[in-house]
Amino acid sequence: MGAFETISFRPENCNGCNDCMIACAQAKAQSDDAARSRIQVLSSDGSYELAMCRQCGDPECVHNCPAAALSKDAESGVIDWDASKCVDCLLCTVGCSYGGMVYDVDAGHVAKCDLCDGDPACVKACPRGALKFLTTARIYNEVGNLEDLFVPGLAGCQGCNTELIIRHAMRRIGPEAVVATPPGCIPGMGTVGYNGLTGTKVPVFHPLLTNTASMLTGVRRYYKRIGRNVKVVALAGDGGTADVGFQSLSGAAERGEEMLFICVDNEGYMNTGMQRSGCTPYGAWTSTTPVGERGRGKTQDAKNLPLLMVMHHCAYVATASTGFMEDLYDKLDRAIEASEHGFAYLHVYSPCTTGWRFPSDQNIEVSRKAVRTNFVLLWEFDPQSGLRLTHAAEDPLPLAEYVMALGKYRHLSEEQIAHIEGTIAQNVKFVKGLAAGVPLAAAPA
Amino acid sequence: MSAVLKPKSKLIVCDGNEAAAWAVAAARVEMVAVYPITPQSSLVEYLAKFVADGRLAAELVDAEGEHSVLSVLQGACLAGARTYTASCGPGVAFMFEPYVRTPGLRLPIVMGIVTRDLLTPQSVWGGQQDAMSVREAGWIQVYCESVQEVLDTTIMAYKIAEHRDVMLPVNVCHDGNYLSFGAARVELPDQAEVDAFLGEKDVNWHVALDPRRPMAVDPLTGGAVGSGPATFVRYRKGECSAMQNALSVITEVHEEWGRRFGRTHAPLVERYRMQDADYALVTIGSMTGAAKDAVDAARERGEKVGLLKVKTYRPFPVQAVAAALAQVKAAGVVDRSVSFGWNCGPLFQDVIGALYHAPRRVAAMSFIGGLAGADITTGHFDEAIRRVAELAQGAAAGGTVWLNEKD
Amino acid sequence: MDQTHYLIVGASHAALSAVHAIRLHDAERDITVVTRDQSLPYSPTVLPYVVSGRSAPERVFLRNEDYFTRLNVKYRRGAAVRKVRPATASVQLDDGEEIGFSKLLLASGAAPALPPIPGLAGVRFHVLRTLNDAIALHSVLPKTKRALVLGGGLIGMHAAENLAKGGAQVTVVEIQPHVLSGYFDADASGIIEKVFATNGVRLLTSSQVTTLAGSGEGCRAMLSDGAELDADLLLVAAGVAPVTDFLDESGIEIDRGVLVDDWMHTSAENVWAAGDVAQARGFFEADKIINGILPDAVGQGRIAGMAMAGDAGAKPYAGGVPLNTYAFFGQQAMSVGVQESALDSSGVEVYRQVDAEAARYLKIVLQDSRLAGIFGINWAFDPGVMRELILRRIDLDAVKQPFLDAPQKIARVLMSRNWR
Repeated sequence: MGAFETISFRPENCNGCNDCMIACAQAKAQSDDAARSRIQVLSSDGSYELAMCRQCGDPECVHNCPAAALSKDAESGVIDWDASKCVDCLLCTVGCSYGGMVYDVDAGHVAKCDLCDGDPACVKACPRGALKFLTTARIYNEVGNLEDLFVPGLAGCQGCNTELIIRHAMRRIGPEAVVATPPGCIPGMGTVGYNGLTGTKVPVFHPLLTNTASMLTGVRRYYKRIGRNVKVVALAGDGGTADVGFQSLSGAAERGEEMLFICVDNEGYMNTGMQRSGCTPYGAWTSTTPVGERGRGKTQDAKNLPLLMVMHHCAYVATASTGFMEDLYDKLDRAIEASEHGFAYLHVYSPCTTGWRFPSDQNIEVSRKAVRTNFVLLWEFDPQSGLRLTHAAEDPLPLAEYVMALGKYRHLSEEQIAHIEGTIAQNVKFVKGLAAGVPLAAAPA
Repeated sequence: MSAVLKPKSKLIVCDGNEAAAWAVAAARVEMVAVYPITPQSSLVEYLAKFVADGRLAAELVDAEGEHSVLSVLQGACLAGARTYTASCGPGVAFMFEPYVRTPGLRLPIVMGIVTRDLLTPQSVWGGQQDAMSVREAGWIQVYCESVQEVLDTTIMAYKIAEHRDVMLPVNVCHDGNYLSFGAARVELPDQAEVDAFLGEKDVNWHVALDPRRPMAVDPLTGGAVGSGPATFVRYRKGECSAMQNALSVITEVHEEWGRRFGRTHAPLVERYRMQDADYALVTIGSMTGAAKDAVDAARERGEKVGLLKVKTYRPFPVQAVAAALAQVKAAGVVDRSVSFGWNCGPLFQDVIGALYHAPRRVAAMSFIGGLAGADITTGHFDEAIRRVAELAQGAAAGGTVWLNEKD
Repeated sequence: MDQTHYLIVGASHAALSAVHAIRLHDAERDITVVTRDQSLPYSPTVLPYVVSGRSAPERVFLRNEDYFTRLNVKYRRGAAVRKVRPATASVQLDDGEEIGFSKLLLASGAAPALPPIPGLAGVRFHVLRTLNDAIALHSVLPKTKRALVLGGGLIGMHAAENLAKGGAQVTVVEIQPHVLSGYFDADASGIIEKVFATNGVRLLTSSQVTTLAGSGEGCRAMLSDGAELDADLLLVAAGVAPVTDFLDESGIEIDRGVLVDDWMHTSAENVWAAGDVAQARGFFEADKIINGILPDAVGQGRIAGMAMAGDAGAKPYAGGVPLNTYAFFGQQAMSVGVQESALDSSGVEVYRQVDAEAARYLKIVLQDSRLAGIFGINWAFDPGVMRELILRRIDLDAVKQPFLDAPQKIARVLMSRNWR
């Protein structure tokens, strides 16, 4: 069974305008009466609630139908209603505990959401992003059958999303690849294996912290020379990318070496005990920027590595977050494609439950907040199209929603928060400036 | 060295750096990574030119530093390439991190060291401090005396490195300024003969980054608490025994070279006029030429002096050195670098260590000369011969003699 | 002797739900479904629509052959079970064949109960429980002029409506003062009865047939008030009873139905029962009840299947909540939970809104601020959501008035906040 697309509802973005319901009523009942909409947004005590078909995985309405008029489509996941078989017994309405299967008096039969063939009218009508058509299932359906190239059960910290990143990335990249994982959390969790046993099904190397990009250069160049297309992939931390690994990275990028370099940025040397790196943000506690009588965390801003990579005229550069998997997958696809003819750099923000001190079930939420507060910006770049934001930077959540979720910022003073806000504002302005500007010229071949 | 010109070989005049580049072409090296540094620079320029001219069918990576140079070669070798680079001085120091990794991976990379001193970035002059400083890293090190030996040894290095009993990287060292820029008449061997000599490339049968035979390359992560130190010890012991295997492999390869190309080079040590010597000089590298002249002159004066040239420095030919020196009363070891803490030259240290295996005690003293590109002239060797003669007659050895101290 | 890991007797909702649940957990071991029917699985609930012609007999099947092939289920038609022998873990079919099992599910359903009316055996009559019954009834519809329906329950009323729509003059005889008394109170039933009367159906409530006699092609019924009634079609729809006759010598504990615990397990080892044949805990009652409705058959079948397969995700039965939906002459009636009369009176509140003229009716029964029952005619609410409010015992104290004013909306809000 595959996964299915679905409509999500974000009540905090809803203002009860009813546009979605009117759009549905018009599309499905040729009526302007919101009561006939198959999506029902309910206002109550200042918040908004939703009643509609959830296209359940094991739908009770289907089980309850005595006339075989309801069925779940194996491809789309939509629960289909067959008017020619329905006997109007209404037992399906007993099965549905979501208010998604309702008798339409004017139509004289039950009515339910059918996701408008994958292009829901309600979502298109929502002016505030309260409704979203989630197509994440496409990823699962496309990638679910691809081979997982890592051993089951890598030994990451509880709640770490790095495992998610590397498993997803490698499924997509496939087995015709050589992977290099320089010292850090990624080999630390067992990708290169333990005790003489491998952690992956592809060739994997534990290069030096300093030489990942150059070592992969040799691998790729040789295979290309002998006519074999072997993808080479770096799965590196921010230290091995932005600090001590930067020279080889920069050199390989400047030479346009054909590789995919994925930086999993957890903003410090988390594997070695949470020390500061060049990617550690201002104000953050680390074990080398401790908080005490005089110390208030890191006193410098993080270096913006992905922007540095843009300035290398890479074939592709993007930032991504596990809070936005569809976006990550889009970028992964483009990065893989770009790595066939040039240097592709993917910078994935990866909150560290252990080193940033937040509950292990909050990782994806923290990832999302980082983006929604503009603490990190999601964008992509290629020399032909220039830089474009892939997640709107308008109307960010207050920064406090992000920093207050993290133990490493618990000590921040108002001045420090103001500093971070200032940095974010500058960064947003700068990136927007790039996004608005003329595309950078392609690097000479 | 005896020369019988083979019919298809070709004579050219070139310096040691160009000779090394010719050897790289002859060995059909597939991947070259380069970064310029004096006095190696012309070597990589020759390589780049050879690639541009189609003489060397290799992939050439102009890396952004020596650290990456060796890293590129590691990746290429793990993928299956025959590889080459050269460096010296601060370049060797900078690549130390991948350098020490290479023998552990048992990668048969060949790297020239155009030896250079290390005191400051400005000390671009000859001296063997760079190569000597990395002598414990697990690479085979051979030191050449002549331009022809640079060419021949660089080719032989592949056969040694890729020998299944060895599988270790090789440094072919030649003295900066002296051999790097000194031109000589050399014979380029016939390509078909070189191909037959080297045989099929055999670089990554033991460890590879190849999707067709996926593996994790040296997953030692368990360490002392996981698999226990045993795995690590196995690695190290394996490297050490490969290093010892190399002694006979180097000898065999040099002998085969001699048979095939009619040009022989002493593989481990060369004994020069040692047969009836009472005392001897021990030399390494290009200084040997002047030393031999000084020995010849002394012989003409009736002094029973001989010379022992060390070509293979790692593995150190302990038995060959001990056997050669067992017959003399005293030996003077001339180094072109220093060993800190011992206040002597590193070769001296190794020689006296080897003499522990001699049946009787041989007096020895240390000379250090040729630092910062200084000449070690026949005059310096005359002085050294005089001091060793005194030593042989029972004088106290005294401390290290610094040959160029007053130049 | 054939041996199967899972043996399932019956092929309607409880049985199919069990097969589904087993296969979600256990893709491997044998499943055999035996049914006395000659057809693919169908639902008794659809039969009145076959009678009316709304549904064609060949289009009512809940599963096709491919489904059973795909799930590696052996589906055996025309295989009626004669005996169950828990001691030897086997059953015997009518033809004498024996099938051994590791786990057995009894989902044999119910069959029409025939009232003890003198003369019934001597006249031609119809019942409606199998597809063949429905086809037979459908085929006599065109020539039916006068129909007599014994019983004003759901089957009787559905049939009466369909017979009337087919042009017959229909009389329903119901022993209770009102039709559909299992699901609706007098006010509600009154509204429904009025709709039937308007559509020409004669409803004789508080009435019964005392004797029956043949009369030409049809029959003549004597009623308790002394009246006589001729009919050319007689439908007996006076209730159903669990099919348990084949269990007589099995030693399995039976009251009115097969007694089961909260995992649908019977008194016999490795034997489960679900659906109309099972008698399980009621949600409101201390005693075990037969909650013979389709949604409960699905739920019980799932629990039984999960328990049989050893699925750790199984949750115990919450108890049967009576409920039903009833569409009649284009109108809708819904009944979820129990009437106030079924509850002990403490803490019970009843709210009703009735507009008999407009055929609109709503009654809400609360006990201790929790929903116990909600009943409506032509009144929009979501029965599935209401059922969850009951099962979850959601406290309505804080939203009582809004809930009474707008039960559908408030229930949806509570849904969205509590179990979305």
